[in-house]
Amino acid sequence: MGEYVSSVVAPRAIARPRFGAALLLALPLLGLLLFFVHPLLTVLWRSVTDANGAFTLANYGRLLDDPGLPRAALRSLSIGVATTFTTMAFGLCLAMTLHRSRLRGKFLIRGALLLPMLAPSLVLGLGLVCLLGRNGLVHRLTGIPTDIYGFWGLLIANTLYGLPQVVIIVSAALERTPARHYDAAASMGATPWRQFIDVTLPRLRFALLAAAFLVFTETLTDFGSAVVVGGSYRVLAMEIYSEVVGQLDFAMGATLGVVLLAPALLSVWLGRLAKRRQDSGDASPGRALVPEHHPLRDAVLGTVAAIALLPVVAVVGTVAYVSAVKLWPYDRTLTLANYTGGMPDGYGPVATSLGVSLLAAVVGVVMIFALSAGLRRASPRIARPLQVLASLPAAVPGMVLGLGYVLTFNHGALSGWFYGSAAIVAACSLYHYHAQAFLTMQTGMRQVPDALEDAVASFGGDTRHVLRDAVLPFAMPAAISTFFYLFMRSLVTLSGVIFLVTPGLGLASVAVMRLDENGFLAQAAAYAMCVVVAGALALGAMRLLLHVLKDRRHVA
Amino acid sequence: MHVYRQIGSVLALLAACGSVRAGDLTVYSALESDEIAIYLAAAKKALPDIDVHVLRLSSGDLAARLLAESAEPRNDAIWGMAVTDMLDPRIAALLTPVHGSNIDRMPASFRGSDSTWFAPTGYLAALCVNRDALAERGLPMPHTWRDLTSPMYRGQIAMPDPASSGTGYMVLSSLSDAGRNAEGMRLVTDIARNVGQETLSGSAPCKLARIGEFPIGISFAFSAMQSIRQGYPVTMVIPADGAGYELEGSAMMKSASHVAEARRFLDWTASADAAALYRGFKEIVATPGSEPTDEQLRQGLPAHLVATLPARDFATAARERAALIARFKQLTR
Repeated sequence: MGEYVSSVVAPRAIARPRFGAALLLALPLLGLLLFFVHPLLTVLWRSVTDANGAFTLANYGRLLDDPGLPRAALRSLSIGVATTFTTMAFGLCLAMTLHRSRLRGKFLIRGALLLPMLAPSLVLGLGLVCLLGRNGLVHRLTGIPTDIYGFWGLLIANTLYGLPQVVIIVSAALERTPARHYDAAASMGATPWRQFIDVTLPRLRFALLAAAFLVFTETLTDFGSAVVVGGSYRVLAMEIYSEVVGQLDFAMGATLGVVLLAPALLSVWLGRLAKRRQDSGDASPGRALVPEHHPLRDAVLGTVAAIALLPVVAVVGTVAYVSAVKLWPYDRTLTLANYTGGMPDGYGPVATSLGVSLLAAVVGVVMIFALSAGLRRASPRIARPLQVLASLPAAVPGMVLGLGYVLTFNHGALSGWFYGSAAIVAACSLYHYHAQAFLTMQTGMRQVPDALEDAVASFGGDTRHVLRDAVLPFAMPAAISTFFYLFMRSLVTLSGVIFLVTPGLGLASVAVMRLDENGFLAQAAAYAMCVVVAGALALGAMRLLLHVLKDRRHVA
Repeated sequence: MHVYRQIGSVLALLAACGSVRAGDLTVYSALESDEIAIYLAAAKKALPDIDVHVLRLSSGDLAARLLAESAEPRNDAIWGMAVTDMLDPRIAALLTPVHGSNIDRMPASFRGSDSTWFAPTGYLAALCVNRDALAERGLPMPHTWRDLTSPMYRGQIAMPDPASSGTGYMVLSSLSDAGRNAEGMRLVTDIARNVGQETLSGSAPCKLARIGEFPIGISFAFSAMQSIRQGYPVTMVIPADGAGYELEGSAMMKSASHVAEARRFLDWTASADAAALYRGFKEIVATPGSEPTDEQLRQGLPAHLVATLPARDFATAARERAALIARFKQLTR
């Protein structure tokens, strides 16, 4: 059936406006080449050259010498697979709860999901230690011996980190579903479970695979949580850190970076799937779906959502609690002193970070919208490599990218104004999280009905009209999610930008790391809570602005 | 065309004003932010015409940054960075000799023979032991490195990874005499077998110990003294069977654009005034005439520490780092 549909659809592609699509693709492609491929190649070049710049494969040979590496690779793989399964299961349930249940208080779920995105990742790890560590809150309150160091700690930390991302992408596919299919299925006597299997899941195929790809590759490259709760369970990402920062062996760090790029090839499949049309939007959307009354479903989804979100809220709650006590965990008298004293950097970096994040989000959402819209119309020969390129950043550890930025932009044409500016930090954050933002946008754009797009085009609309009248209305929810996603991630990212801060340019996430490094746990927690609150206020303000703009447009 | 050139030259001039204003000094440092704030306030009083802009990174991050920027260094000087990191041949090549009345008075073992570096301060390997956590598990107080190899401490020790932390490497390199002492090497690997959590940074084990996650953290003395000062149930143990220490070196960059200012500032960091401030944060202060404070003595710091430190060949330790770490990995993983 699927093959039949695509063969019918294919000839139509010839009539589509190609020139506009090429224009749409040019700028995002230039951005990717300049701010992602270029720095990445600069680093990776070091994996195949020796100290004198001559070609060598010796670094790859050294991979086999180190007895720790194969084991670390195996561990990375198992933690990656385990994290992907748990995160996908919980993420799908949460997204279904948000879009396919009648549960009240969904804003609570949305709010709870924002927490792990607004809290600097280092802080999530610290919260986990203070909650579930050997001397954590749970142990002190109940006496149960708890020990998170190792596999389970990593699994929990990575799941917390990946959960919001899965919900965002799956939600982008669940948004604006017409009721017709469900009505039809119900009238043929399909049970709600069959409706889920036969109607909902096929529509989610791309979103689920994209989300799984992201969670898997990110778990492999992220070392933020591995550092804090990994225990003696060493994974590949930690080996990269120890090669680059501990032993100043950039070549070996780059070599491991190449190894970690391998899973990104999975995104080739995503590209193939993206080209298939059977789960794209409907020609005439019709009445929007309103979930019917079904108490059992709501009860089950609600319970799973509670189980998934309890650790999220508990971890961030623990950080808030640590920030407000005198001497964790020995003197738990409440105090606000940690918020007012002992912060050599002051709160200036929070403002800088907000500005940088806004820049990354605004530029990012425009570029990624153009890229996703352009790819809808591009021929497979262009679309497939671009699809891989746009998804590749997920497989690049932030530290490798940050190092690439220094090696590339420290000298050369752009170094004068770009190096050491807020723009370079914004660029690094944007391209570090490019894959996640891109795949969310792409999922959302699959909701755009092809027929509507064709209709606008056949009435003489050029690319601009097609975008405005057909693509934008359907892709809007995904575009908004992408914007907020980029904003939040840029606000708290650490691994790449740590190489880009200068004496005059302090960032909030770096300030938190310094406080923690200097041994001020409570102040670090307090600073992190300020970042969470500032981020939440900024989100609220932007949502309000969006609301006002939307109302205005309706009036006019 | 002419107009463009004029605009260009005005822009260049503006850029020049922004970056090369006389008296603006850019310094990279691995000292902690809170101590930097205190030192800088005093430096401003002593050298009112110099504005010091400090970028603070951990020693490893700083080394990586210096190396990545080495084609076009952005800083005038380095202030307080682990000497074994700084003497990596690729970073040492970026330095130039620096002299000054205070710098030249530093004891010979705290100064490079070629005058490219000097170290007014340093830190000492120490154990942070959480008395509460130790008692909860019914374990005795360790006093030596040898004690830590006992099977009863299995999984109870947090230790910095020698491959990623200067403190970790300091312990490995000091105890094994840069790998030359086979028995010392065995001692370190035996300790590594008992480790429950390897950390990236040298202060992290102490921070885990102070909140009771692991009863014993292998760290450095300042971290332990800070824990005691903040009120945690922590005892500082300086192992009796071998002192591991690291120096915090300062240096001038070959590429410095403010040579005179950088020299004056660096010389101030070696002054007696600065040494008095270091005592609030440092266990090893090499500036002649500086003695441990009463608080430091009370917390368990030996009185004649600087004079009793064994000589360390930092250049060799830096050069042979990769080989020694590779050997350690082979033995422990």
